[in-house]
Amino acid sequence: MKRVVEGSQAVAEAVRLARVEVISAYPITPQTHIVEFLSEYCANGTLDARFLRVESEHSALAALIGTVSTGVRAFTATSGQGLALMHELLHWAAGARLPIVMAEVNRALAPGWNIWVDQTDSLAQRDTGWMQMYCENSQEVIDTVLMAYRLGEQVNLPVMVVLDAFFLSHTYEPVDVPAQELADRFLPPFDPKFLLDTQNPCAFGPLVPPNAYMEMRHSIAVGMDQALARFPAVEDEFEDIFGRRYGAVDAVHCDDAEIILVTSGTITSTTREVIKALRARGEHVGLLKVKLFRPFPLEEIRRTLQTAQKVAVIDRNFSFGASGIFAQEIRAALCNTVDTPPVFGYIAGLGGRDVTREIIEEIYTNTKHNEVPEKESIWVGLQEV
Amino acid sequence: MELNVHDQEYMHSGHVACPGCGAAIAMRFLLKALGDKTIVVLPACCWSIIAGPYPQSTLDVPVIHSAFETGGAVASGVRAALDTKGDTDTTVVTWAGDGGTFDIGFQALSGAVERNENFIYVCYDNEAYMNTGIQRSSSTPYGAWTTTTPGAQWKKMRKKNIVEALVAHRIPYAATANIAFPEDLVKKVQKAKAIEGSRFLHIFASCPTGWRIPSESSIKVARMAVQTNIFPLYEVEEGLKYTINYRPKEYPVREYFKLQGRFKHLTDEDLQFIQEMVDEDWTLLLRKAGEHV
Amino acid sequence: MTAKAENKTGEFLLLPCTSMSTESNLTGSWRFMKPRYEEKTAPCSAACPAGEDIGRIEMLVTQGLFKEAWDTILRENPFPAVCGRVCYHPCENNCNRGEFDEAIAIHSLERFLADTASKNEFKPSIDLRPARDERIAIIGAGPGGLATAYFLALLGYPCDVFESTSATGGVLRWGIPLYRLPLAVLEGEIARIEALGVTIHTGRHITSDFLKTAHERYNAVFVGCGHSKSRKLGIDGEDLDGLEEGIRFLEKIRRGDLPAVEGTVAVIGGGNTAVDVARSAVRLGGKSVLVYRRRREDMPAFEHEVEMALEEGVELRQLLAPVEVKQTENGYTLVVRSMKVVGEDEDGRAAIEPVGETTEELTVQKVFKAIGEEPAENWYNPPLKRQNVMRLNHSVLVHEPRRPAVVFGGDLTSRIKSVVHAVASGKEAAIALDVLFREGADAIRARLKSCAVGGGAALSMEAYMDGLRKNRSHHTVRYEEINTDYFQTTSRVTQPRLLIGERIGSFKEIDLKISANLAIKEAERCFNCGLCNQCDNCYLFCPDLAVCRDESSQGRHINYDYCKGCGLCVVECPRNAMILEEEGQ
Repeated sequence: MKRVVEGSQAVAEAVRLARVEVISAYPITPQTHIVEFLSEYCANGTLDARFLRVESEHSALAALIGTVSTGVRAFTATSGQGLALMHELLHWAAGARLPIVMAEVNRALAPGWNIWVDQTDSLAQRDTGWMQMYCENSQEVIDTVLMAYRLGEQVNLPVMVVLDAFFLSHTYEPVDVPAQELADRFLPPFDPKFLLDTQNPCAFGPLVPPNAYMEMRHSIAVGMDQALARFPAVEDEFEDIFGRRYGAVDAVHCDDAEIILVTSGTITSTTREVIKALRARGEHVGLLKVKLFRPFPLEEIRRTLQTAQKVAVIDRNFSFGASGIFAQEIRAALCNTVDTPPVFGYIAGLGGRDVTREIIEEIYTNTKHNEVPEKESIWVGLQEV
Repeated sequence: MELNVHDQEYMHSGHVACPGCGAAIAMRFLLKALGDKTIVVLPACCWSIIAGPYPQSTLDVPVIHSAFETGGAVASGVRAALDTKGDTDTTVVTWAGDGGTFDIGFQALSGAVERNENFIYVCYDNEAYMNTGIQRSSSTPYGAWTTTTPGAQWKKMRKKNIVEALVAHRIPYAATANIAFPEDLVKKVQKAKAIEGSRFLHIFASCPTGWRIPSESSIKVARMAVQTNIFPLYEVEEGLKYTINYRPKEYPVREYFKLQGRFKHLTDEDLQFIQEMVDEDWTLLLRKAGEHV
Repeated sequence: MTAKAENKTGEFLLLPCTSMSTESNLTGSWRFMKPRYEEKTAPCSAACPAGEDIGRIEMLVTQGLFKEAWDTILRENPFPAVCGRVCYHPCENNCNRGEFDEAIAIHSLERFLADTASKNEFKPSIDLRPARDERIAIIGAGPGGLATAYFLALLGYPCDVFESTSATGGVLRWGIPLYRLPLAVLEGEIARIEALGVTIHTGRHITSDFLKTAHERYNAVFVGCGHSKSRKLGIDGEDLDGLEEGIRFLEKIRRGDLPAVEGTVAVIGGGNTAVDVARSAVRLGGKSVLVYRRRREDMPAFEHEVEMALEEGVELRQLLAPVEVKQTENGYTLVVRSMKVVGEDEDGRAAIEPVGETTEELTVQKVFKAIGEEPAENWYNPPLKRQNVMRLNHSVLVHEPRRPAVVFGGDLTSRIKSVVHAVASGKEAAIALDVLFREGADAIRARLKSCAVGGGAALSMEAYMDGLRKNRSHHTVRYEEINTDYFQTTSRVTQPRLLIGERIGSFKEIDLKISANLAIKEAERCFNCGLCNQCDNCYLFCPDLAVCRDESSQGRHINYDYCKGCGLCVVECPRNAMILEEEGQ
């Protein structure tokens, strides 16, 4: 049923519906409301789960590695510095093939202290083996958490459900919070393929010498490929029950677009409005929203963008010494095709700076008026500070 | 020896511990006392290697290897899962070296015991980061050579008193144990097993390789640590009640130091200073145990 | 549990997870030192002239296996009840525990086992060799002769023992007083020897002619006639009535005469006989004065006997030599001269000289001489010539062609005159004869050496008869080789005795029994030097679990597939029952 909920509560509702049994989290703005909602749910019995009040994010993820290895469904949430602190264990969770689901609230990395939206924190973890799914609104957040468990438990890989700081975490939206029976129909109980079991003892994570390590890494790669292949089927199941789907990417007016803007997160919803306005003025512009970033939906993106004349990627992040990260991945996706359109990379909105319609229009205009990008990365709206 | 345990082993031969390894002996006794309903959380330490390379496991109980600093946290998670499944029989044990306990793992350990997580944390202490090649830890004793405290820069800091640090958390049970006193060790493990909440065992485990002693002297040196009051055998319940479990012979500390190559640079003056430190600590312990000194 | 699992798409999931143990990794290849079990010789057993397997005896006592412990004594010594009462226990002087706190009360434990055997009427369970054809004659049914008969019987030889007096036992019956060795005890021990098929003929005095015709019936003769003639003092008054041979006095008492002793008697001498005479006189009502020409510490008598004598009121006058005995109106005067020590003589005893010319006179009712005994007849002495004569440790073997072998043993050939030395000579004689008959004289020394305890003078019949003891290393365990970390100081058991007042009133046995509880506690103090008592230290401390328990007599073995040769087992063996050698030896 539709309710107006804060984005953070949407996360908590999804965790409840997924019948998570162990939660382990450490507070960090702006994830705190998620943690507080979940604490309350556990305390008042809304959610029948154990809540581990660990003493750091690193320990939060460490605890869940222990929990899921013992065959119990678990959840955590973090943001910014917290995710950075977890880095070592992000690799571990994926390498251990544990379907942990985490809500990751995109937040800028210090120094200086900045609690507002920035995608560098999650994208800096793109090599860890975690799936990454970027959300545009709170409905998508609830739905994605449920799908994350479904998909993650099928391929034995952890999933980050990414949502913007404040724009999603602290914004109230009307959201359809599904009924528990529907959620149960979609998401069966966790049935682990391996677990710590005194009846069947073995050691997880031992020394693996060169003769076997590569094969295990290959298995993760295969797992990611499987995830990409299975995602549509999971969405099929989801749509059958809940009537909604999102796609690994969402292509809006891309068929006839000369310029395609590529976005992710809440910038997407603003860009939808800009696209409408531009098209109304006769501009041949389209929008490609990237939801699934890991595994990277290479084929779909390549297919969609190939036909455009130019591609403009809006990155709310940056990989220093290189470029915006979505732009990087898009360029890589297009490099083995014939007639690749030039990719314009725009850096906007870092550290919570608002990405307004005007900025997006400016980005479009700049793209339209240049044959090729004047720079690898164009930082939009830099000021004297 | 009367160990008062089932005559059952949970450890296999063929592991790659150094000859005479005290850590191997300690694990053997631990598992004999705990039995097979045990899950071992194993953060990075010598035992990460001794536990066997893929696809082999030295142990007949489930093991989850974990990152260096996560001993307390992973155990908390395993425990939560077992409780969720309604399994109250299985014991969760973190088996960590001094590095993963005193230093990099201290936060997670402190966090876990502050929450009074229901598990046993065992630190087998060989007094340096042995697995990475004998570098000093905060458990390395005053006077020791290590590769990061070589020559004239031998360690001039005291060994951190980990038991006291945990006693300050008022945990239900904390105790020291020593591989040369197996009956006491086993008794303490069994006692710990029957208690709920956070339990900490600090086991003295000699390292022939790192201490520069002959492999056949592991037990002898470990025993001497107790007899010289350097490593007293005691337990603390609820962070308040101290019990000294063994009255040592109180040999001079020289008897312990002279057995080990890692101390051979110490002068008589150094040993005298150390003797005073040891005497002071022993007096303090006696006082805590309620004995007038 | 496999590391690969199918996921729902049917493709492999390969994660770091184990599926087998480490046992395929044979870490034994690391080894450059190799431990093994090797039982060694305990110093007590090497010091015991009879070579008793003392370490094992005490181990069996701790296990409550008193019969087995008693049998273990019998393999090496037919007289546990006798030795447990009268032996001077050189074992205890060599006991490693003595350097830790106090030596084990081995003597008391031997007595305990004999008492237990007697009370429960144990019958021996020891190995006997099949019967042999050779027959042996034994002259003298003292400890030497009886021991010889016993060991020969074990080896399968029928023996005839000829005893000149009316009863068996030799010095055990006629010499040692009842308060040290009750008659029933002695007779029980001898009966057990007879039960093996030994025939004893009492009242048969054998002369030297016997040797001339012995070959008709016997293949060998053992001469164990002992020293039954008192040595002469060589002073005036020697033949007076009042100067009596000490050993005759003791004999009279044993025959049932209990001559009353009034007043003070002097006993000249410092050996066991002298002390026995002095103490017997006390019990018969007299006051005894021991007159010895050297010092107390030079007295050949066993120290505890001297101590008890003094407790019972015997007076000891040291450094006094007899000069003359004169008869007086109501007794005798013993004239003595003071002596002083001027160094050491070639035997290591104090060399003495008279102090001036002055003498002292002691007024006594009687004088006993007990300055030593010697063979009653000359032919008892082994021949001095060399050819065909083998001088062994405790006996002398004469093996002339076409004549029966003659072995001289017991007091005739032992430097120290004790029961256990007599047993030693009997054992040596028996083994030497057995080798002579089977292999010839040339093989004797080598064979004796091969069953020597700790490579020393004592022999082990068990080893000679191919028992497990023959595998024991000759290395005698030293105190430094014991891991004393495993022992706490405890005090030694005290065998209770009659109070002094109770002692001197009769010839009742002085030493009393100890309980099984005390015996076990005392036996638990024994280090069991060099012997494995299954303490399991090796098994428990092995970091590689390479010590495996099994059903063998050792109880465990080392799995060399995995043993890395760290040596912990060897060092932590409290009793040096293992050895660490270079790999490849």
